[in-house]
Amino acid sequence: MAIGHALLGLLEGGPRHGYDLKRAYDERFGHDRPLAYGQVYSTLSRLLKNGLVAEAGVEAGDGPERKRYAITDAGVTDVERWLGTPEKPEPYLQNTLYSKVVLALLSGRSATDVLDTQRAAHLSVMRDLTKRKADGDLADQLICDFALFHLEADLRWLELTAARLDKLAQEVGK
Amino acid sequence: MTQVIGDLALGVRLAVGGSRKSWGRLALQGIGIGLCVAVLLLAAAIPNALKVRDDRADSLNEVAQGTGPAPLLMEEMYVHFRSLDIAGNYVNVRAQNAPVPPGLERLPGDGEIVVSPALAELLASPDAGLLKPRFPQKVIGTISQAGLIGPHDLLFYAGDTTIAEDESNRVYAFGKTYERQAPEPILWMLSLVGIVVLLFPVLVFVGVATRLAAAQRDRRLAALRLVGAAASRVRLIASGETLVGALTGLVFGIGFFFAARPLADDISIAEVAIFPADLLPTPELAALVLVAVPVLAVLTSLFAMRRTIIEPLGVVRHQKPVRRRLWWRLVPTVAGIALLVSQFGAIGDKDSRFQFYVIAGVVLLMLSIPVMLPWLVERVVSWMRGATPALQLAVRRLQLDAGTAARVVGGVAVVLAGTVTLQVLIASVEKDVLAEEKRDVAHNFVTLTPKDDFDTAGFKDAVAASDGVRAVHVLDRTFAKLPDGRVTNVSVGTCAALKAQAEVTDCTDGKAYLVRFARGTAEARPGEVVMVGGKSPWTVPELAEVPGTAPGVFLTPAAATGLDLSGEKPQFQAELDLAVPDAAEHMRNAIAPYSWRVHAYFYGQDDTAEVELVFGAVRRALIAGSVLTLLLAGASLLVMALEQVRERRRSLAVMAASGVPRGILARSLLWQNGVPLVLSTTIAVGTGVLLGVMVVRVFDAEVVYDWQGMATLTGASVALVLAVTALTLPSLRRATGALGLRTE
Amino acid sequence: MSLLVAQDLHKSFGKTHALEGAGLTIRAGEIVAVMGPSGSGKSTLLHCIAGILPPDSGVVRYGDRELTSMSDRERSELRRTDFGFVFQFGQLVPELTCLENVALPLRLSGMKRKDAERAAKDWMAKLEVDGVADQRPGETSGGQGQRVAIARALVTAPKVIFADEPTGALDSLNGERVMHLLTSAARETGAAVVLVTHEARVAAYSDREVVVRDGKARDVEFVR
Repeated sequence: MAIGHALLGLLEGGPRHGYDLKRAYDERFGHDRPLAYGQVYSTLSRLLKNGLVAEAGVEAGDGPERKRYAITDAGVTDVERWLGTPEKPEPYLQNTLYSKVVLALLSGRSATDVLDTQRAAHLSVMRDLTKRKADGDLADQLICDFALFHLEADLRWLELTAARLDKLAQEVGK
Repeated sequence: MTQVIGDLALGVRLAVGGSRKSWGRLALQGIGIGLCVAVLLLAAAIPNALKVRDDRADSLNEVAQGTGPAPLLMEEMYVHFRSLDIAGNYVNVRAQNAPVPPGLERLPGDGEIVVSPALAELLASPDAGLLKPRFPQKVIGTISQAGLIGPHDLLFYAGDTTIAEDESNRVYAFGKTYERQAPEPILWMLSLVGIVVLLFPVLVFVGVATRLAAAQRDRRLAALRLVGAAASRVRLIASGETLVGALTGLVFGIGFFFAARPLADDISIAEVAIFPADLLPTPELAALVLVAVPVLAVLTSLFAMRRTIIEPLGVVRHQKPVRRRLWWRLVPTVAGIALLVSQFGAIGDKDSRFQFYVIAGVVLLMLSIPVMLPWLVERVVSWMRGATPALQLAVRRLQLDAGTAARVVGGVAVVLAGTVTLQVLIASVEKDVLAEEKRDVAHNFVTLTPKDDFDTAGFKDAVAASDGVRAVHVLDRTFAKLPDGRVTNVSVGTCAALKAQAEVTDCTDGKAYLVRFARGTAEARPGEVVMVGGKSPWTVPELAEVPGTAPGVFLTPAAATGLDLSGEKPQFQAELDLAVPDAAEHMRNAIAPYSWRVHAYFYGQDDTAEVELVFGAVRRALIAGSVLTLLLAGASLLVMALEQVRERRRSLAVMAASGVPRGILARSLLWQNGVPLVLSTTIAVGTGVLLGVMVVRVFDAEVVYDWQGMATLTGASVALVLAVTALTLPSLRRATGALGLRTE
Repeated sequence: MSLLVAQDLHKSFGKTHALEGAGLTIRAGEIVAVMGPSGSGKSTLLHCIAGILPPDSGVVRYGDRELTSMSDRERSELRRTDFGFVFQFGQLVPELTCLENVALPLRLSGMKRKDAERAAKDWMAKLEVDGVADQRPGETSGGQGQRVAIARALVTAPKVIFADEPTGALDSLNGERVMHLLTSAARETGAAVVLVTHEARVAAYSDREVVVRDGKARDVEFVR
């Protein structure tokens, strides 16, 4: 998952300090793996270089320098494109998918669209696998089935998430 | 023990269930069994009702022996009015302590009369204009129930002080029991067979009503069996369920019985009408009914469930049932036929045990219908191939479950068979009776028989002067004892008088005629010496055989020379002009003053009509009864059909969704009801005719078929199938509506 | 090109709004999966476009005929001749043998018993269930029953087959087989299939999917 997209998504809510960003990220997506400060600043400087964020003033005070960052129009477009592009269907996607859903909700976009887009991509791969199964031998079938069941599991999870979007939106909005 | 009660209670809970549907089913079962219970209670009340009638009849018998002068003189005389017979008693009270017949407050004096309620009603009716002149007396009261045998008795007591004492009219008291003659065997047998034939279907219907909605219950109990209930416990649970229905039925039945009882005196046939109060079952018979019905219900349901208990899985999975075996089902049929055949012509036997065999044979044959029918339906249906999709659906359905359908229509079949049997019996016996009783309807003579010496010349003038009387002929009558001890009638009169008796042609004085007895017995042969009046010998002259209404020898005066007529009162024949309406009634009114002294009998009109009336009424009652039972069968058929639609809802809905026209589904339902019913009707008519013919053979009578009656019943059962199917259509429509597809 | 078109369908059952402006297009010969969570109105949509249920409003067009303005009888006949149906369960007449079940639609259209049963037998062989021809549905396994049902749906050479959760009551392996047989038979005969399912693996047999959510359907075109 691209941390950059996540930080961009978080900045859509309004300009923030790097420290704030780290805290928000950890709170929403970090769980067992909090971001290192260094990672935050290197990502931010990459985004800055690409023109996706801009500096929005420096806050004077104790401790380290407190620069505020704001998302640019190009940054918003980038987030939009990211959310609109399905992840390549493959196992263990849930981190990225989850982030996408939450960010869509946070930014007031349609999480359902994210899910539908992903489903279409998944199904498209599943169709290919199903066709390969029909033409292949038993070994092919077994390999394809493995992939199919995992993809199906993703989709099931997606459906379940979709069914709970309302509740999630409530929690995210808190 | 608590286990037993617990299981029974579980059954009760399953039966009642609490849902509206289960209450409906219980109510239906209650009504079904209730109707049967009511009929059984009614039948149980009949012996008692007859005994009470007999007792009252005995209490009305007069005692003619006593000491001293008779305190009461009584002359009995029937007053005939059209086809009604009014029993008249003319009394002459001669002492203060004269006995008062039961039902009267006091004896009527001269010019007074006490009438029965039915007679009072008749006199008050607008039709009574021609009857009233015969009752000029003052009505001083009505006879209470104690003085009547049935509620429709036409009876009166009239005071008449002109009655002179003779050896036949003295009364010292009322109430005397005579040895009752056993009823004529043919009638007795007819009644017994009738009772068996009518009551047997009732018992079958107890079984059918018990099995209402049985398929569903079978599945429920099979499920219980599958979760581990032992067979004995499932039996107990089933018994509990059945008992609820049976007990509800008993309550309904007792209610129906008491609701129907007040109608007993509304029965229009006087001989059959009963005072409601007389209609009470003896405690023994009532107890028998109240115990037998629940026991029968439980036994039926346990017997019918034997397969569910043994193979619960088969019921749950709708598997093809095991084939029914034939041999034991044949036992009642064969035994019944054997018993009946062995008794052919036995009516003449002195040994009365044959009655038992005949009844047993009839019961066995009736029993063979519900026993044979499931096997037969299964067998016929198993080689039927559906020519059309509708028929195929029905046939396949029946192949899976022929039992339920066969059970319901089995009840119908028993009723039909019983009715057909009775129809054959009645038609055959009726033909015999009518052949003897009614040979000439165009008879236009009223026979006037004086009972007392009086001015016969004045009487003859009074008759002749009446409107519609063409002439009055005098006929002298006596009897002759034949050499073999038998007796025949001898009548002497002018040619005109003889014409009233027989179809005499080219009559001249000096001729003698013979009218044969219908059964060819007791004929006087020319040249034989017979004892006229039982005392004076006379040689029979040459006789010309002629057809006629009354058998005997008919002589013109010249042929009667040497015939001793002393001591015989003359008989008058009033020749009527039938073009004048009610000529006979006018004539009877003209001679009303002679009251008890003359018996005016209009042969053919007074009597034959009554015979027809009774037979007609019996036949109507029979048809009404069987239609009622058919309706009951229809109700259970309907429940069954509705339940099947409900049970097959999913499959019907899917068929409709796949474009199967509703018409085909409806027709398949029609076939499904129709095939078993057509089969059962065929079997029923066959068995009924067979049974009827065999019983008639026992009576040694000629077999007559009542085709019209059979057609009526067959038509009724066809109509029933159509009606039941039509009533099922709304629920079919609901099931095949698109909503039927939605999962519940 | 488009065989079956539904536009702006509304349908309520009492207070429940099952369809609120649903629409979709089925082209000849394509296999379309109708997906969506339970209670989303998938089955109602299928019932409406198949002419089993009349929608409260909206239009369903089949070829140049308008299903929504046809009488019950006409729709019934159309379903019998042009459509085939496979449901999750309970679709075979329990009293008839499997062969008779398959032959039933042909016989209803007036075909002689012998001919109908011969055609039925061919289809049963294709679906590998000719072994249970003389058994009743209750005596067969679930997978066999579904394949008999598919044979029955195909026997009239329909233009569209409507399948409502055809594998819902089957295990994976039987489900796979049923789907494989259904789709390959449909492709062979050129029949379109409308496949209502909530299982992705089943939907993967389709060419494209339509998602129904809250009574609305959205077409998702096949992205190649």
